[in-house]
Amino acid sequence: MTASLSNVRAGAGPADSDARRFVAAAARFVLIGLVLYAGLYGAAEAVVRAHADRNRFHMVRSSPPARYDYVILGASHAAVLGYRDMNARLEQMTGKRIMNLSIVGAGIAVNELLFDYFLTRHQAGALVYIVDSFGFYSSDWNERRLEDTRLFVRAEFDSRLVRLLAAHPATRATALDYLVGFSKINDRDRFLPDVPVEEGARFERTYRPVPQIDRERLAYLYPGPVDPVVFDRYMRRFEAFVQRTIERGIDVVVVKPPIPDRVSKLMPDEAAFDARLTAALEGRKVRFHDFSRVGNDDKWFYDTDHLNQAGVLQFFEASLKQVLMGDPQR
Amino acid sequence: MSFNSFTFLPSFAALAVVYYALPHRFRWPLLLVASVGFYATFTPSFVLLLLGVTLAAYTGGIGIESAVSSRASRAIFAAALGAVLAGLLTFKYFDFLASSIEGLVARTGADEAQPLLPRLNIAAAAGLSFYTLSSVSYLVDVYAGRMPAERHLGYFALYVAFFPKLLSGPIERAQAMLARMRQGVVFSEQGVTAGLQLMLWGLFKKVVIADRLAVFVDGAYSQAAFAPAPDLLIATYLFAFQIYCDFSGYTDIAIGAARILGFELMANFRRPLLATSVGEFWSARWHLSLSAWFKDYVYIPLGGSRVSRIRQSVNLLVVFLVSGLWHGANWTFVVWGGANGLYQVGSLWTRGLRERLRAADRLPGFLVALARGLLTFHLILVTWVFFRAASLEDAVTILSRVSGSIGNLASPAISRLAGADMLISIGLIGVLLAVEILDERRPIWERLAARPVALRWAAYYVLIGALLVMGRWNLQQFVYMQF
Repeated sequence: MTASLSNVRAGAGPADSDARRFVAAAARFVLIGLVLYAGLYGAAEAVVRAHADRNRFHMVRSSPPARYDYVILGASHAAVLGYRDMNARLEQMTGKRIMNLSIVGAGIAVNELLFDYFLTRHQAGALVYIVDSFGFYSSDWNERRLEDTRLFVRAEFDSRLVRLLAAHPATRATALDYLVGFSKINDRDRFLPDVPVEEGARFERTYRPVPQIDRERLAYLYPGPVDPVVFDRYMRRFEAFVQRTIERGIDVVVVKPPIPDRVSKLMPDEAAFDARLTAALEGRKVRFHDFSRVGNDDKWFYDTDHLNQAGVLQFFEASLKQVLMGDPQR
Repeated sequence: MSFNSFTFLPSFAALAVVYYALPHRFRWPLLLVASVGFYATFTPSFVLLLLGVTLAAYTGGIGIESAVSSRASRAIFAAALGAVLAGLLTFKYFDFLASSIEGLVARTGADEAQPLLPRLNIAAAAGLSFYTLSSVSYLVDVYAGRMPAERHLGYFALYVAFFPKLLSGPIERAQAMLARMRQGVVFSEQGVTAGLQLMLWGLFKKVVIADRLAVFVDGAYSQAAFAPAPDLLIATYLFAFQIYCDFSGYTDIAIGAARILGFELMANFRRPLLATSVGEFWSARWHLSLSAWFKDYVYIPLGGSRVSRIRQSVNLLVVFLVSGLWHGANWTFVVWGGANGLYQVGSLWTRGLRERLRAADRLPGFLVALARGLLTFHLILVTWVFFRAASLEDAVTILSRVSGSIGNLASPAISRLAGADMLISIGLIGVLLAVEILDERRPIWERLAARPVALRWAAYYVLIGALLVMGRWNLQQFVYMQF
């Protein structure tokens, strides 16, 4: 592709008129381009509405305003509680209205933003926070997780979410991307279902432990030694979040999910985490339930540390149902 | 800050506005600061390396010209050349040479556990290979009396560091560029439009085509021993288009950006996919600035083609082996260069036979051209395996696995091509080839210029739309930036 035109014209007279003409044409080009972009954006939003299903921001936006008895936050250990019809079953068991807003790889920063967004459209009676220690040890699960524009690519446009994202320095770039819709327009998975096709089969599996795989999984969640400064920062943020939630008149329940012993043994400094968490919640009128050793046989898991369908039902029956049906301790 | 980053375009637009708003005498400082700032966004400490190479060439040029005798001039030339090349040898080749020597020693049965030579473990300095060649060509031209030494340090520094060409060329000659800097540039709507057209097309080739193909190529080539043979075959073909779109896309953005600023950089590619001989591929179509550099500064000084055929063959091999090594500190690049050199030598020795065959054939011209084009494409394709593979072992593995199952590849390969992503990739390659064929007959932008503005703008919007909808904006580095 060769362009044969030169812009070298020594002593050219009409350079100013050239510039004016160019600017005028450029302005027209940009204006028409913006209209076309708006069309692309509209088409992208239509695709999002057609294919979004499990995206938590989409769930908040698309659900009619309502009061939920329980909102569940957490990472992937909480996400399985919403696979298939698990959430409906839990609602049926407890007679409560429940919205599961857990996000894979979500630490306190992500959950805090998501819950703030939820409260712009709905109300909650109580918050169930499914807690994992790894979420407190790295920005990978917090600020950097929020930089992942794929979190919002299936979220319909909502000015309230834009304001929330713009309010925090860590999410301003994400706010801009969400506002202009670039990631939605550029989404290479735009026609793929929100729920992975293989999830169903996976959910029914029973994991056969392989030590090498366990080690690799833990190395992924806990890539290095625990940095006490980082841990302290995120724990303080969690404490502040819990306090703020209580002050909003919302009960808080913190739950440690079942984890196989072979995995717990590999977690760094888990006892110290438990001690710090207990101390953080003491005196705050927060119910804390540690189910990490309850119903944690390998037969209840479909991979290294995620409950399979039978495991989730067992967890509901044995543990979670009673927690959700118990009276809040105020 | 890469050319395909979200920050480059608005930054460049702001730079261009300020550039044209400033009087001529303030423009070179602006461009120099912008160029150094651009380079600093990669690895700030390597700005010192750029400065060192620049000063070595600048002072060397003045020293050569000011020398009291030809002997002194030669000594200064050698010293300056050594200083300029020292950066390249140290930062790019030291570890490679050390490990190669130790590899040779290991074959003698020496203890491999004890490394003989230290390793610097320095990350590659972006653009070092390119601005080193620019500086070397300047020193040689001054020494040979082809141009006067540049006394203006600012102009010379800008020649070396000019950001559109700094990282991956084109490798410009100093004389033309330095003369250009002294001329005033006035804003031209046609020139700026032409520059923007080139940048748009370059971005399309890079972000829509090259980076899409890279996903499949990287996946297959990263596990040469385990990837299915059909995948390796498809990846090899896709790589031929990926590297062309990646490198020419970068060059188009570079030339377009320079044109907007009033600098005419040399063309680096002329539709190499349409080459009908390896000789034509290298002399007239692929990486022209590098070919011209090696011709002027290595091949001709060695005697070029004005020597015996045997000597000429040796000269060709030397040029291509050195060119291969220039591309990367890995034996794969040396083999790649050597293979192309052997092709050239083969062309040299069979020239007479081929001319007689051409005179004798009765086939339609376009069929002959098509056959020659396909043959050329596949000859080059085999060498691309070495260029892309991580190691010689991987390259040999890929070639042997593909050739070993060539009879059984058709069906599985075709089934792999049926996926949506692959079909889109093939469609884009088809678009690329169509544009190249049209451009070969008459430049595509000239064709568009003759059409109504609505049609031109529609073409621009389609390209921009493709960038938005299909572009892979995960910022894959331009392939040639690693050289």
